[in-house]
Amino acid sequence: MNKFSHKLSLTLLAVCGMLALTCAVVLAQAKSPGRVLLYTSVPQQLATQFADAFMKKRPDVKVEIYRAGSTEVGAKIAAEREVGGIRADLLWLADAPVYYDLRKRGELLAYISPESKAIPADLKDPKGYFAAGRLINMIIGVNTEVVPLKDAPKSWKEFPEHGKKAVMGNPLYSGSNFVTVAAFVKKDGDWSWFERARAKGVAIVRGNSEAATALAGKEFGVAMTLDYIVAGLIKKGAPLATVWPSDGAISVPSPIAIIKGTKNPTGSKTFVDYVLSKEGQEFLVKQEVIPVRDDVKPPAGQPSAKQIKFMPIPYEWAADNAPAIREKFEKTMLQ
Amino acid sequence: MTATHFDRRYLLMAAVGVFVSLIVIYPLWQVLFRSFLDAGVLSLKSYQKVFSYPSYYRALLNSVWVSCATGTLCMVMGTLLAFLVIRTDLPFKKTLRTLLVLPYALPSFFAAIAWIQLLGPQGYLARLVLQVFGFATVPWSIYGAGGIVFVLTVHYFILVFITVAGALERMDASLEEAARASGAGTSQIMRQITLPLVLPAIMAGGLLAFIGALANFGIPALLGMRARFFVLTTSIYYALAIPDFGLATALSSMLVLVALLTMALQFGIQRGESRFTVISGKAVHPSELKLRSLRYPLFLLISAVVVFISILPILSMVLTALMRYWGAPLSAANLTLQNFIYVLGFETAQRAIMNSLFLAGVAATAAMFVGTVISYLHVKARLKGSRALDFFATIPYAVPHTVIAIAMILAWAKPPVSLYGTLWIILVAYLAVYLPFAVRTTNATLQQVHDSLEEAAKASGAKLFPRLRDIILPLARPGMIAGWILVFMPALRELTVSILLYAYHTETIGVVVYNMQDAGYREIAAALASIVMGLLILGNTILRKLTGGVAGF
Repeated sequence: MNKFSHKLSLTLLAVCGMLALTCAVVLAQAKSPGRVLLYTSVPQQLATQFADAFMKKRPDVKVEIYRAGSTEVGAKIAAEREVGGIRADLLWLADAPVYYDLRKRGELLAYISPESKAIPADLKDPKGYFAAGRLINMIIGVNTEVVPLKDAPKSWKEFPEHGKKAVMGNPLYSGSNFVTVAAFVKKDGDWSWFERARAKGVAIVRGNSEAATALAGKEFGVAMTLDYIVAGLIKKGAPLATVWPSDGAISVPSPIAIIKGTKNPTGSKTFVDYVLSKEGQEFLVKQEVIPVRDDVKPPAGQPSAKQIKFMPIPYEWAADNAPAIREKFEKTMLQ
Repeated sequence: MTATHFDRRYLLMAAVGVFVSLIVIYPLWQVLFRSFLDAGVLSLKSYQKVFSYPSYYRALLNSVWVSCATGTLCMVMGTLLAFLVIRTDLPFKKTLRTLLVLPYALPSFFAAIAWIQLLGPQGYLARLVLQVFGFATVPWSIYGAGGIVFVLTVHYFILVFITVAGALERMDASLEEAARASGAGTSQIMRQITLPLVLPAIMAGGLLAFIGALANFGIPALLGMRARFFVLTTSIYYALAIPDFGLATALSSMLVLVALLTMALQFGIQRGESRFTVISGKAVHPSELKLRSLRYPLFLLISAVVVFISILPILSMVLTALMRYWGAPLSAANLTLQNFIYVLGFETAQRAIMNSLFLAGVAATAAMFVGTVISYLHVKARLKGSRALDFFATIPYAVPHTVIAIAMILAWAKPPVSLYGTLWIILVAYLAVYLPFAVRTTNATLQQVHDSLEEAAKASGAKLFPRLRDIILPLARPGMIAGWILVFMPALRELTVSILLYAYHTETIGVVVYNMQDAGYREIAAALASIVMGLLILGNTILRKLTGGVAGF
């Protein structure tokens, strides 16, 4: 055997060895009893710190996090469904209509947590298929160096009047923007808000974080974006302000649910309990998140869920008419 | 030995065939057949959608013309720069070359962000121009088709630059000298000798740039939306957001079709490949062209280009990483090292750097190895069926990364062979994504190696492996090193495949960058990307020192 083929077979041997080793590791992982796999779109640091706090309290349950944007998590779930079912034990996304779809497909495990008593009825599923784990709110962000606060829009109705200085995220990409579009259309009964926004030249960007960063970068004066992103930028010193629109903020509950195929229902349930518990919600408040429980105080300077005026969100209608809503939005705003 | 009666090259082809089937054909088939399904029944509904919705076929046309414009500009820019940096007596050529290649390490959405920061309505350069010339608004727009073509060109011309630079370095000088001796002028030599000789490399690089632009998502997603300009990849992402697999794959098939037509076109142009075979094993370096009085003016011009397309975007990213928040006014009070300190202490980021280094290193090496074999079988051995192999190995380049990731889940996430949740599924996906680079770049190299060399070895009784080891590999090495870099750099920052395939503890750099960016922490994402850039520069310097300037970029 010459040197070359000798090297070749050595390499092949090494590759096989590594593969065998990995398989062993995978098997060992699958056997570990206390493991729960969480798919989430909650920001990385927040999700990690929250899971760490939980594991400190319940060292017997090990939370492993897969974090990506709503679209990526959705595509991953859809692909997994084709090859033997969703691999996650827990799902914590900001895309509420997804849960209605999952419930319809019978892919969620019903669990009424003892902690859910303290959560308002409109933030949980009556049969316990899911419950809001945090609230994220679509609000108006203002860059006060571009548009003085006194001239800023007070309501969604005034928002399109800022024309080219206004920006919003694309509902074809972002779940929370999709819910917002559905709420506007259901409230007005037509697409007049969007037609006006189009005529005035409101810009569309990919999602809420891009809208907020472009706002901080002074490319725009007002933005439809999420409260916690603006709060984070304010904390870092950006000249931004939050306006809670008088015709109602869009509160997007970010629900937590257990997947029916979970191999660890007990561990998953303890995690859900912790998310909904007073302690869990108080932890989130420290990270500028608005709590879902009435008995937990909101972050300093932020209104509580009770004080905010909310626009009703037609979830089931949005879930059932999703393709038509997306198509109409595309025709109105993007063509 | 009976082996003399059996052509061992068929054994090699069978092995590579199995590899390509497992890594490319089987996974992509898993996606493709779903584009013909509607609720489990065979149907053409998804394809009907593509052609009945104006927004989809408009996206198709947009994709085609944007990629054509980008490919053409890349060929012009990459060839000119490669020629100046390799064949003339410009000062500081090595440094210029490294600096030109460097921005390829920027993730494409970071390239877009950097250019927004420079040329956008509030960009540094835009504000400078406004102040100097007193315009009310800048006379250009980064948002829209023009901006997309510009950023894509700056991002992908490197593919032409590297392949052409390699070809120019390997070129046999005797042809040029013969022409010169017969009294031909410099421009005539360039037009009639040099250009035709490096044409395969220009075409190969141009094709890579064309398809790269076609399959790019980050740049049109960031720059197109505000101008309501959509391309195929952004439409595919919509389809996935719905999620409508059938539609997403039907749109992807369109993309692959465009890429294949272009490849066929290139193949047609390059018929009679033997015209280009010039390497005959002699180590004669082509002479340097004396620029004389043009030497310093041209040096200044190229330096300006390097500053504009390489240094400014990288500086812009580093500046973002030093800011307290994105968009903060430039002042000492707003500068901080906090983002770097955060990233360096962030356990996930440390792990991601290790994972990505491992994945990129293994993927680049394995892809180059397999790619060279495929290329050899097709270009040199010309075995029956080798063209099909070459063809299948190139397809993934035109498939959007998200679709490849989904294909891998469909193919490799179910028992008995489940790689899902491990680093190996990401590696398999990287191999599929980057194999085309390897094949295309080595094809261009091997086309220049004359058959006579291997035939001589064969006639002297050398068997297949010694022939590969002693003849083909040494001659293909410069091309392989260039190809290795073209795989390693993007693999190190790969985002779209990893984000769907990573699991707990198998995060990659791209995943961390994406998740930071997505949460609005653009400055932390920029800090990590800057650290990666620093590692690359460091690695390159060490490699160059160790190998005496042979390896590296």
